Amino acid sequence: MSVLQRNNVQLAGQGDRAMVFAHGFGCDQNMWRLVAPAFEDGYRTILFDQVGSGASDLSAYSADRYGDLQAYADDLVEICRELALHDAVFVGHSVSAMIGVLASLSDPSLFADLVLVSPSPRYIDDGAYLGGFTAADIDELLESLADNHLGWSALMAPVIMGNPDRPELSEELTNSFCRTDPAIAKDFARVTFTSDNRTDLSKVTARTLILQCREDAIAPVQVGEYVRDHIAGSEMVLLDATGHCPNLSAPQNVIAAIRAFV
Amino acid sequence: MSESARPAEPIEDFEDLYDSAPCGYLSLTDDGRIFLANRRISQWLGIAQAELIGRRIQDILSVPGRIFYETNISPLLRMQGFVDEVAMDFLTADRIKVPCLVNASERRDSEGRLQFTRLAIFQAAERRRYERALIDTAEATRAEVTSERETSQLREQFIAVLGHDLRNPLASIASGVRLLTDRETLSVKGQRVLLLMQGSVGRASDLIDNVLDFARGRLGGGITLNRDAQAPLTPVLEQVVGEIVSASPERDIRTYFAIAEPIDCDRTRISQLLSNLLGNAVMHGAKTEPILIEAKSDRERFTLSVVNGGRPIGEAAMARLFQPFFRGEIRPNQLGLGLGLHIASEIAKAHEGELTVASDESHTRFTFSMPLARRVEDPD
Repeated sequence: MSVLQRNNVQLAGQGDRAMVFAHGFGCDQNMWRLVAPAFEDGYRTILFDQVGSGASDLSAYSADRYGDLQAYADDLVEICRELALHDAVFVGHSVSAMIGVLASLSDPSLFADLVLVSPSPRYIDDGAYLGGFTAADIDELLESLADNHLGWSALMAPVIMGNPDRPELSEELTNSFCRTDPAIAKDFARVTFTSDNRTDLSKVTARTLILQCREDAIAPVQVGEYVRDHIAGSEMVLLDATGHCPNLSAPQNVIAAIRAFV
Repeated sequence: MSESARPAEPIEDFEDLYDSAPCGYLSLTDDGRIFLANRRISQWLGIAQAELIGRRIQDILSVPGRIFYETNISPLLRMQGFVDEVAMDFLTADRIKVPCLVNASERRDSEGRLQFTRLAIFQAAERRRYERALIDTAEATRAEVTSERETSQLREQFIAVLGHDLRNPLASIASGVRLLTDRETLSVKGQRVLLLMQGSVGRASDLIDNVLDFARGRLGGGITLNRDAQAPLTPVLEQVVGEIVSASPERDIRTYFAIAEPIDCDRTRISQLLSNLLGNAVMHGAKTEPILIEAKSDRERFTLSVVNGGRPIGEAAMARLFQPFFRGEIRPNQLGLGLGLHIASEIAKAHEGELTVASDESHTRFTFSMPLARRVEDPD
């Protein structure tokens, strides 16, 4: 299976530069449905599913391999190399903001610009640093995730994972684009919410834009400011939006901010 | 007879229906703030209706609920306009969890813009507890299965290593016996003992081969073939028979070989198969009746059968004969691992052939049969 199949890479748009969109914990590349098409006129747009999410190849997933964010960053580097990308624009939401940071440190030639949407380098409080959560909060989250994955079964996986020939199948299944194998969801949540990438921020050399929502329960404003203060030359735009997913709740604001930056 | 008036249709009081419905209702603005809450949810949470207004939904959710709301539910609502059957823990005024199930839907204007979001909330403490118990059981079972699998894999690896390590000392014993047989002058009794030892070494070596093959099969290696389309098979089969005859000189063993050489097969494997079948016949067949070995080939197939007399194999035993570790009725001095027939049938399968058995009051016959489609025609 090729890298592009493994990560369900979807290409669209035309232009000299490429723009790569990465989704975070919880859903899949559909998170960019209201944003990515706006850049198809002028950019090659590249969307993909993290391994374990969406229509990625679940057989490529193993808890051992995907034990930290670097593994996801390595996948991203592979995708970019497969597509021969240079100086592309990277747009990463939530945990994928940090995955993009790690990928750009692995190979600085890939991305000239980083757009970090609702980023957090560390979710758990640590001394003076306020990530927004305690370690006990995250343990409780990991424990409770299974409560909302009752409907999952291996039998349903092929249907849930997208069946382009028979769209009516997936329509019967509600909540489908956020469905994940509960074991993988738990692993990904653990990797996400226990990650600590604060020391990586100062190594970033790409131009960086941070998009921050006013009221974000996952990545609060002070965390966005922390990222801005630790990536040299970066700028932060406070969006007139609430919640953690401005790409869905305020797509026009996100589009405008990215346009103004690149 | 009095005229009983039909009772008037009851009139639903919609305001009361909203407030006292058997479920909680919340309405959220487009940025997630509560602007309407019914009395039921207010009672459940111990928070006055007026105090709920203006708060963000996240404020009355547990921490995991808050994260799940932001990362899954809120995106789902925006994408498909509704979510059904979501488990959420709400928090009372005293921050005590109220386990609930929630359905939510968005109300959008004609342009598709979000106006507000409605939540219907059902207390579900019992159901959630039951589901949690199911999940815990499933997780415990999964952990147990994983650990069992690891243990059994270790055990199989251990068997494979042990079998392999046993080969060396056994080879030393075999060459020692050979040395004594060839070079030393021994009494008649000494010669008889050596003969028995030779037979035992042969049997032990067969057992090790079977165990190794079995372990390899279980570890995913399967039976691998090393076919040879040129070398003759007959001498190899004769050697197997010779070894058994010398180990059991009291038995009447007859061979009928009519093989149109060469046969495209793994000769070592076929001799292992014959050795297993023959060992079986010697052990289980009636001592007073001859054992017949027939090997023949025509244009299509090669067949090899071993026939012995004695009691027939029972129907129940027949069904499990080729399964590993099947040992029939265990009688004294007939201990074995029960791998011989299993390995023989695996060897047959690896040759795209089959091993069958027929057993009645007079005979028991095992027949191996394989296609010769792979046969290399003489070039001329």
